Amino acid sequence: MVQVYDVQEQGAHSVRSWVAVALLLAAATVCNALLDPYVSLTSQAMIYVLVIVIAAYKLDWVQSAVAAVGAVTALNFFFIPPRWTFDVESREHFIALTVMLVVALIISHLAAGLRRESRHAALNEQRARQLQSLASSLANSTALDEVLALGQLALDAVFGGPNSLVLANDADDLIGDTAFPGTMPQAMRDGLRCCIAECAVLGPGTGRWPGLDAWYLPLGDKGRVLGAARVWPAQADDSDGREHAQALCSLLAQTLWRVRLAASMQVAQIEVQRQQLQSTFLAAVSHDLRTPLAAIVGAASALQTQREKLSPSEQDRLLGSIVSEASYLSTVTENTLQLVRLTSLQKELKRDWESLEEINGAVLARVRQRDPGRRIKSQVPAGLPLIKADPVLLAQLIGNLLDNALKYSAGEIDLVISANAQALMISVKDRGPGIAPAEQELIFEPYRRGDQSGARGAGLGLALCRAIAVAHGGSLTVRRRGGGGSCFCATLPLDEPQPEKELA
Amino acid sequence: MSLLVLVVEDDREIRSLLQASLSVEGFEVQTAVSLSEAAALLRHKPPDIVVLDLGLPDGDGVQLVRELRKQHSTPVIVVSARHQEAQKIELLDAGADDYLTKPFSVGELLARMRVALRHRGTSLAAAVTTHALEDLRVDLAAHLVERDGEALHLTPTEFKLLARLVRSAGRVVTHRQLLTDVWGSEFTEHTHYLRLYMAQLRAKIERDPTEPRHLLTETGVGYRLADA
Repeated sequence: MVQVYDVQEQGAHSVRSWVAVALLLAAATVCNALLDPYVSLTSQAMIYVLVIVIAAYKLDWVQSAVAAVGAVTALNFFFIPPRWTFDVESREHFIALTVMLVVALIISHLAAGLRRESRHAALNEQRARQLQSLASSLANSTALDEVLALGQLALDAVFGGPNSLVLANDADDLIGDTAFPGTMPQAMRDGLRCCIAECAVLGPGTGRWPGLDAWYLPLGDKGRVLGAARVWPAQADDSDGREHAQALCSLLAQTLWRVRLAASMQVAQIEVQRQQLQSTFLAAVSHDLRTPLAAIVGAASALQTQREKLSPSEQDRLLGSIVSEASYLSTVTENTLQLVRLTSLQKELKRDWESLEEINGAVLARVRQRDPGRRIKSQVPAGLPLIKADPVLLAQLIGNLLDNALKYSAGEIDLVISANAQALMISVKDRGPGIAPAEQELIFEPYRRGDQSGARGAGLGLALCRAIAVAHGGSLTVRRRGGGGSCFCATLPLDEPQPEKELA
Repeated sequence: MSLLVLVVEDDREIRSLLQASLSVEGFEVQTAVSLSEAAALLRHKPPDIVVLDLGLPDGDGVQLVRELRKQHSTPVIVVSARHQEAQKIELLDAGADDYLTKPFSVGELLARMRVALRHRGTSLAAAVTTHALEDLRVDLAAHLVERDGEALHLTPTEFKLLARLVRSAGRVVTHRQLLTDVWGSEFTEHTHYLRLYMAQLRAKIERDPTEPRHLLTETGVGYRLADA
């Protein structure tokens, strides 16, 4: 009775729930009216209780209370004697009505709590899933922009927005703003700056700047704040939402930090490489260039000042030494430059289909000038597969190996080229003094030579040979030969299928 | 009358060295330190042969060669450093006759110049159609290739390839030029054709295909038919 007015006063609730309440009550009443001749009052009361439980479980507490009061009223009005009045005749009926009302309210309260908790659990699970999926998509990001874009998507998925993410650079400027590129309002800018400076969450419910309508969250911890995020809208009592935003932000901050560290590590590595090359180059200048230069200047100045006193044969010897020292100088320069180019500039190889037989033939034509006794015996099988390679570099590889063998050994030199389905092999075998096992890796370092006896090495020759083999995806190794001497073996993989032989 | 050489070289030492050595050989030598100066000299009085250094301060010389080729068949010999491969090939494709890689000896330069001068004016005079060196004899008109007096059988493509090299005997012919002239301009990227056919040709012509005497490889640039 009184409650009926309450229902009218609370007319703001959704119409559909109220219609549901009315329908439930009407259905129960009709059902009871039909059953009236056959069942007792207790069963009719139970049917109303059923309605109350349904309403309490499905609707909110106001509606379920109204349903309870309605049910009790209807039972009273229609079925409890004296019928068609609101009077309650016996004390027993009065107690039943009161109990029904209390039961309705208790069930409603329990159901509402249950609903709230399951909603809460679902939300938490959704947020946890979001964090997890963000973490896995961030795991592969390598660029700051990419991280910001993913972060923006994640924030927009949870909060209405516009949300924004910014990074702070060294000059304290905000960069990489995702939601307001270049047009961010000054107040927002100030909020983000302040958040970065204080390294604390600002906004409703945080105790700092509670008057704001958005949360400002720092990306990072004290001492290494990389940026800040603005999340809108924000409610003071939504502490779960704020915690979720913080979790997202700390995930983003970790990733940003990782990306930044990786970038600076790469810079450091390049710098280390550059310094190594520089010292290599300095070593080259100080030894392998200075020595032949001294010989050239010595011989040339002798010819300049003492020509009349020198016999023609001595003059010839000096001239010969100038030419050979200068050509040695040219080789060292070429090797040094090529090695620097190969290792520091990540030089793109100029690859084409090449025939190793052909390249080897051209190298031999040049090297034979220094091999009048034809000490080099070459074995090149017919029908070698073609290889996709840089011909100039391969020629340098073979040439340097042969030059070395000529220099360090006196006997025959075997040059053997062979192939299998996966690779081409170039072996240069000499009968020189051989290389001690301890030295076998060191000789591939720039500026090391097998012997310290004074015979001059090709400087960077072997280092360059190895760099060339590696640049082609292959390798260069040395081993001792049975019976004395060394065997240098370069392996060059045949990665690509052979070109079609069908010719025009 | 002595032949006029134009030496385009920006390094003073090399310029004066070339001037001295070429004068001794009886050439009249003109020098230029830049492409613009060379262009001016070419307009004033065309030389008989040009020795052109790559990496001049005012450009890479391709323009100069193209300009020169419009009117004259003057031989051009390019002098380059080892790492200037791409530039050198571009110049050869644009019409330069041959190249030398620094450091080179004066003897090498003179040999290249002699070959280039021999080919000068081949567009006017009868084109080279025969070639003979040691065991090899080629007569293009008679469609004849002999080794040690024994006729060799070449396929049509092998013969076209050899004929192209004979016409430029002693000079380098770039991959692009060979592919264009033998297979057609749409085949300029198919260098593997050259590798395969050159291997076949060497197997027939050379005594030792692994150390060829006639069909020489200019690694990364092209091929040269030896003529001395």
